[in-house]
Amino acid sequence: MFTMGIDIGSSSSKVVILEDGFNIIAGEVIQIGTGSTGPKRVLDEALSKSSLKLQDMARIIATGYGRSSVDEAHKQISEISCQAKGVFFLVPSAKVIIDIGGQDVKAIKLDSKGCVKQFFMNDKCAAGTGRFLDVMSRVLEVNLNEMAEYDSRATEPATVSSTCTVFAESEVISQLSNGVAKENIIAGVHQSVASKACGLAYRCGVEEDIVMCGGVAKDEGVVRAISKELKKPVIVAPNPQITAALGAAIFAFEEVMGTNK
Amino acid sequence: MSRIETIISELSSISNNPRKAMEDYKKETGKGAVGVMPYYAPEEIIHAAGLLPVGIWGGQKSISKARAYLPPFACSIMQSVMEMQLEGVYDNLEAILFPVPCDTLKCLSQKWKGTSPVIVFTHPQNRKLEAANKFLAEEYRLVREKLERILDVKISDEALHKSIDIYNENRKVMREFTDIAAAYPQIIDPIKRHAIIKARSFMEKSKHTAMVKELNSELKSLPVEDFTGKRVVLTGIMAEPNEVLEILKENGFAVVADDLAQESRQFRNDVPLGTDPLYRLAKWWQEFDGCSLATDAKKSRGPMLIDTVKASKADAVVVCMMKFCDPEEFDYPIYYRQLEEAGIKSLFIEIDLETTSFEQTKTRVQSFSEML
Repeated sequence: MFTMGIDIGSSSSKVVILEDGFNIIAGEVIQIGTGSTGPKRVLDEALSKSSLKLQDMARIIATGYGRSSVDEAHKQISEISCQAKGVFFLVPSAKVIIDIGGQDVKAIKLDSKGCVKQFFMNDKCAAGTGRFLDVMSRVLEVNLNEMAEYDSRATEPATVSSTCTVFAESEVISQLSNGVAKENIIAGVHQSVASKACGLAYRCGVEEDIVMCGGVAKDEGVVRAISKELKKPVIVAPNPQITAALGAAIFAFEEVMGTNK
Repeated sequence: MSRIETIISELSSISNNPRKAMEDYKKETGKGAVGVMPYYAPEEIIHAAGLLPVGIWGGQKSISKARAYLPPFACSIMQSVMEMQLEGVYDNLEAILFPVPCDTLKCLSQKWKGTSPVIVFTHPQNRKLEAANKFLAEEYRLVREKLERILDVKISDEALHKSIDIYNENRKVMREFTDIAAAYPQIIDPIKRHAIIKARSFMEKSKHTAMVKELNSELKSLPVEDFTGKRVVLTGIMAEPNEVLEILKENGFAVVADDLAQESRQFRNDVPLGTDPLYRLAKWWQEFDGCSLATDAKKSRGPMLIDTVKASKADAVVVCMMKFCDPEEFDYPIYYRQLEEAGIKSLFIEIDLETTSFEQTKTRVQSFSEML
């Protein structure tokens, strides 16, 4: 039996097709999100790669910021519940999840069964989100996937504000014009993201294992900065961008089987 | 339309249009209105003068002119009040009563840009001393004198006692209403509940009491039906705009009690008995607890919330955090921990009167509903 989870975020679209509730048949990501062609394209890509049709899906659940705009879905579940479900499936020892996506930062506390005990989200502010890193990457003329490498060469991380993306951008511009090395600025940018996410994690209560997911988890510089701030190891979920879609597909499977808690 | 629907519709329309409520009062009595700034003020003095006390609670609007006078981190309720005073919205008020229990109100009281006279008074924060009652009674004496001068009326002790009785009756009926409404969430949804309570900020209280009394009696005559959704207690300054309450409703939540400054905190305590009406009003402030704006060394808000959750058989607490309200932000970690220790789940949502996008609130509320 096949089930599908569709996660439409603000800056990317993800689909997971699951067989019998545990075997990931497809896990596709397209780096454009709600309101774009991304949702349709990622759906087509997942179906094409798995050689399946929409009609083969026993149930489809949508999640993410654009969850209510997915016509194919039978139901919508919030991304917080789906992240918890997906991450716990992959890392059953997870107690705290730090999820940094395009425009949201979330800290989610789990109980021993993987159910959400508490969660905190960022305010309506791009600071500390994937969008913040996008802006910095453009200003610094460094690709997002190269930022971790730059960070690893930093000797003295610069101070970058975590209050506001616009202020932080002008801080970075003035540091560039003062000749501060990009490596040190990028390390500062990563610390800024970490301080925002850790603020939410502290509210939840930090307990190991700490697992990171969301697109920003692919940036090792941010993971290192979070681990340093929390003084604890941080596990990156396998394929961290698709964990919410995976959770949605698991929910769909559980609903079909009548085992949904 | 049933009598219940008619009463709710009338109260909702007053709640949504305070200006019309003021105009109607003027037509009916020939007397005007006095504005009352948040959060707590001796409205009874205005009532005893025969004028209509009208709550000034801001409104949902975008902010531009107020930016010239307030920093961006002033709370959103004061941002909208500033914007509207600059637009002359409050200029037909005879006067404005201005308590200053937080820094933003203190500063705003000194830069009022409207044309109505402003009467500023101070609540003592060392509240549990007898000297606090004496101080506040003296403040209220000055408020009475200023109102008498501005309005050219005499406010007698007898009229004040009578107004206190009318207000206490309204408080009692409102407490009954919130209890009864909790049993009928299918009829009194979060939006209607809020409108019925908010209408009391713009109505002569005996009129409001009569309508709510009738509503209570009509509701009680109906059978209580099973409610399959979740029951929550709201805490904070206010739960506006209505979109926030709509989201709660859409996700199957019923508001079974509240600890909001705009709602139950206004009527959960009566003004105590006594011989001097101003001292009675002052004593109310001493007996009032569980609000971030009233210094409380014992930090009783958490235990009070826990008691409310138990009494109303609620499933959880929803924290309606007014954006940039530092007294509320300071209180939060204390009662959050107390709720956690008591095993009571809570959800934090941000209240911002300027916002037009509610996606984050939707995600938070839906997640909370899935979590409970």
